[in-house]
Amino acid sequence: MSPFKGGVHPPEEKALVRDRAIEDFPLGARYSVPVQQHLGAPARAIVKAGDAVRKGQALSEPQGYVSVPVHAPTSGTVKGVAKVVHPVTGLLSPGVIIEADGKDEWAEGLPLRRDPFAMDKGELLEAIRGAGIVGMGGATFPTHVKLNPPEGKTIGTLIINGVECEPYLSSDHRLMVEEPERVLKGIQVAMRVLGLDRAVLAIEANKPDAIRVMREKAPGEITVSPLSVKYPQGSEKQLIKALTGREVPSGGLPMDVGTVVQNCGTCAAIWDACSAGVPLIERITSVTGRGVRNPKNIRVRVGTLLRDVIDFCGGLDGAAKIIFGGPMMGIAQFTQDIPVMKGTSGILVLTEKDADIGGYSPCISCGRCVEACPMGLIPSTLSRLGERDLWQAARKSGLTDCMECGCCTYVCPARRPIVHFIRHLKALSRSAGSKQAKGA
Amino acid sequence: MLIATLVVGAIGAVCALILGISLVTFAVKMDAREKEVVEMLPGANCGACGFAGCAALAHEITVNPEAPMACPAVKEDTIKAIAALLERDMGSLEPAVACVRCKGGPQEAPSRYEYVGPRDCRSAQLVAGGPKVCQYGCLGMGSCVTVCLFDAMAMGEDGLPHVNIDTCTGCGKCVEACPRGIIALVPKTGTYCVSCISEDAPKDMKKICSVGCIKCGICADVCPFEAITAEKGKAALIDQDRCRKCGLCTGVCPVSVITGRTVPEKARIIPGACIGCGICEQVCPTEAVSGRAKEPYSVDPGTCIGCGLCLAKCPADAIERYNA
Amino acid sequence: MKDVFVSSSPHIHSPEDIPWIMRQVVYALMPGALVGVYFFGLPALSVIAVSMISCVAVEALWQKGMRTKVQVGDWSAALTGLLLAMNLPAGCPWWMVAIGSAVAIVFGKQVYGGIGSNPFNPALVARVFLLISFPVAMTTWPRPRPFFEQAADAVTGATPLGALKTAIFEHHTITAAPRLDLMDPFLGNIGGSLGEISALAIILGGLYLIIRRIITWHTPVAFLGTVAVFTGILWKINPDLYAPPAFHLVTGGLMLGAFFMATDYVTTPISLKGKAVFGIGCGLITVIIRIWGGYPEGVAFSILIMNALVPLINRATQPRRFGAST
Repeated sequence: MSPFKGGVHPPEEKALVRDRAIEDFPLGARYSVPVQQHLGAPARAIVKAGDAVRKGQALSEPQGYVSVPVHAPTSGTVKGVAKVVHPVTGLLSPGVIIEADGKDEWAEGLPLRRDPFAMDKGELLEAIRGAGIVGMGGATFPTHVKLNPPEGKTIGTLIINGVECEPYLSSDHRLMVEEPERVLKGIQVAMRVLGLDRAVLAIEANKPDAIRVMREKAPGEITVSPLSVKYPQGSEKQLIKALTGREVPSGGLPMDVGTVVQNCGTCAAIWDACSAGVPLIERITSVTGRGVRNPKNIRVRVGTLLRDVIDFCGGLDGAAKIIFGGPMMGIAQFTQDIPVMKGTSGILVLTEKDADIGGYSPCISCGRCVEACPMGLIPSTLSRLGERDLWQAARKSGLTDCMECGCCTYVCPARRPIVHFIRHLKALSRSAGSKQAKGA
Repeated sequence: MLIATLVVGAIGAVCALILGISLVTFAVKMDAREKEVVEMLPGANCGACGFAGCAALAHEITVNPEAPMACPAVKEDTIKAIAALLERDMGSLEPAVACVRCKGGPQEAPSRYEYVGPRDCRSAQLVAGGPKVCQYGCLGMGSCVTVCLFDAMAMGEDGLPHVNIDTCTGCGKCVEACPRGIIALVPKTGTYCVSCISEDAPKDMKKICSVGCIKCGICADVCPFEAITAEKGKAALIDQDRCRKCGLCTGVCPVSVITGRTVPEKARIIPGACIGCGICEQVCPTEAVSGRAKEPYSVDPGTCIGCGLCLAKCPADAIERYNA
Repeated sequence: MKDVFVSSSPHIHSPEDIPWIMRQVVYALMPGALVGVYFFGLPALSVIAVSMISCVAVEALWQKGMRTKVQVGDWSAALTGLLLAMNLPAGCPWWMVAIGSAVAIVFGKQVYGGIGSNPFNPALVARVFLLISFPVAMTTWPRPRPFFEQAADAVTGATPLGALKTAIFEHHTITAAPRLDLMDPFLGNIGGSLGEISALAIILGGLYLIIRRIITWHTPVAFLGTVAVFTGILWKINPDLYAPPAFHLVTGGLMLGAFFMATDYVTTPISLKGKAVFGIGCGLITVIIRIWGGYPEGVAFSILIMNALVPLINRATQPRRFGAST
């Protein structure tokens, strides 16, 4: 019995880094911290050139509720707030350039020693928000918003996402194996915030050591739930379906079926923020793929330049594509002068053979995408509409339900960039929508 | 044989009868003139008028005597013909054409990476912001050319789209299609525009593009009509309402980024009518008018730019324009 | 970094592309084609060769002439050629095969815009075109003989379905038809189109396609099941007038149609539900034509008729969307 409809089984390729222990990335000389590292209202930089900053000090101020600050990854001097290439959009956007002084001094009073289980919900949420915590699986939605459902939404289940269904990546895997306490304590804090007495930690069966470690260490109120391997099980909606059998309604959120989903890395960050006041300034990421000489799992400061990370891992070898994230949903990069971000769950370097670069041909209606689509859409139709800019028709065909997981494009024998066409349609639909809003 | 003939004939008769009845029953009542108006409209159904298509616009202007002639694509004489048919004033539209505001082809402003995906600017823009090194520049994949319903645009050998101003109707489809807002509509007479919309600082821009606006502001200084604004950090912009198509700006631009066609008209003073007041001399931006008070003034055709300022100011209507 | 490629996600692809799929289908047709060659000898081989070569050549010429990219490397034209050959009598003259190939590629496929755009199965369009244009040649069925006993002067005979139709027409009962050992059509020892005679060979190829996940079981099971149930009911009502379902299943082009023609991607519904509906429709029309129609065989017509209904079926059988309210 399949836990959810559709999905694909791409080669896992996790063996490249699965068994490599996390290495600490050495302190660098220069960091570039984009101000916008979350999904939501932009934040505003509050430092200027010449300012001395210390590790963990806030560099920006959130604007609005769905917004979080970024923090200095180390101590040093601000060289300026410059326009830097943003790894998600590819466009120039403001980033704080910091020259490290090598002392790596904490900001005043950090790290704290406090007991999160003595704090109330409001204090915990404030700590989480102040630490700039966002969903670390890659979506980067501010965590405090997710942990604070609006009045009238009852949450019955907290689901912790340790699925890591993207091929190649093993950052969550290593975190669970090597630092289970941080994850488990963070889960307990999240439970406290939500007022729940139980949580489910979902791990795909291809990580037996993580399942074993977590089962050993987890307290009674946290159930470790192994799942059969299938992409995109790490998607919130599919994960909820697999664990509870419930479907998040079209256009709805997990809380509409009484669930909150948090990534396991986010939970570790929650623990650091609530127990020590330490903001999100570093993360674990997998540097992997056959295009990099020494694939590694590293603990790296947010703001570290990709160029330095690549050098640390032995340099490139036949790289054809450099991707932030996994091969299914990650974002291809065109330069090495970009920083590691809060949401960078992996840095994947594909060779030309693995990336399989080439043209596409017309749809032959084989139906493979229809079988693969976990959202029950007809991707082939959407791709044809995309070729003709017909976004109105596409909206009727469920355009907005698509989460761009890439299953359709992965299986397409005509190599059609279906997800790209869908993004194109969404962009057309958005711009038409904003035009309408302006006209009204 | 006879029976067969009769049967076939009968079937034909019955069918004819049914068709005839349905023609009468399901007939749509329609102003006869509406059909003629539809015939006169371009028939491209481009939607630039704001209606669902040419027929919808024809219906509107036929039934609503207040409705303006919203189609930007029809020629002046067609508007006149429609106005005559509907026996009302249709007004007139200043014909507009598209202007591509970027001169940085792949030679001048190269790609920053190898883009893989559909050859469509809007699609390419979604992948890391587009392969063009300048994030304001033309992506050169011709989405504007694809959407043009009048075959008025084509990709040139320089990798940039070019507008054929004789066939361009100013419908604005390309303006909508360009993900970077590079295309603007400009008056068909003159077609002056600054072919760059970069907001990069001149020194950053020079690193990536050899032909962009360097924001020096000379054009704004030289423009006699204050039609050019050179805001800090932005490429110069021509206010089309103020532009008199004199072409002074094209001459002074150090990077030749302003394009347009000078209007081949000059002013001349009708000696008998001139009262010698000298206002023309004062308003002339190029000092082309000379003379002595109370005597007829004269215009030097070499320096006159045909802007028409003197024409507008002359109290005696003693100045006329002529085709040089 | 100019040498890196940048594109939208996903960045990896399943290795199963169109040429791979088309080749798998060609492989799956091999058992049927070999049985054809075994029983009909070198003429069968020449029909296959002429058909495949001319399909590829016509497609290449057309694409050259139309100044579009020549895409015969995707194997789809070769597959169309092979399928057409499988649907022709082994004794077809070469020029007729070539005409059929041209019709298949030009009027069955390219005039609609090439691969992916044709509403009707190109091979069947050509087969029906030839059947209407050259009725005698297209219904002259060489008698099957094992390969090493081939004679120069091929003897012709009727197909089992043809014999059945004649018996009913002349004697109003099927008992007048020559008795048929069902093992013969199962193994291929009967008259018929060169690729359709052995049910066993076709089933083997079909199973290969299902195992390799090129096709799903839905269409063939629905198609064959409908034929079995429908003819079964009729046979129960009057066994003197209607042949048993087993006879219908193994004779004619049913197996070939169910596994290879009704599963063509382009011209059949996209969802699993739709594929099942398509199969049932094909089954019903096939039986209606076989039993009450003027032609002894109805598989080709049934598939073409259902091809025309595909947009409607697609519309009616959309998959359930995740999180849909009903």
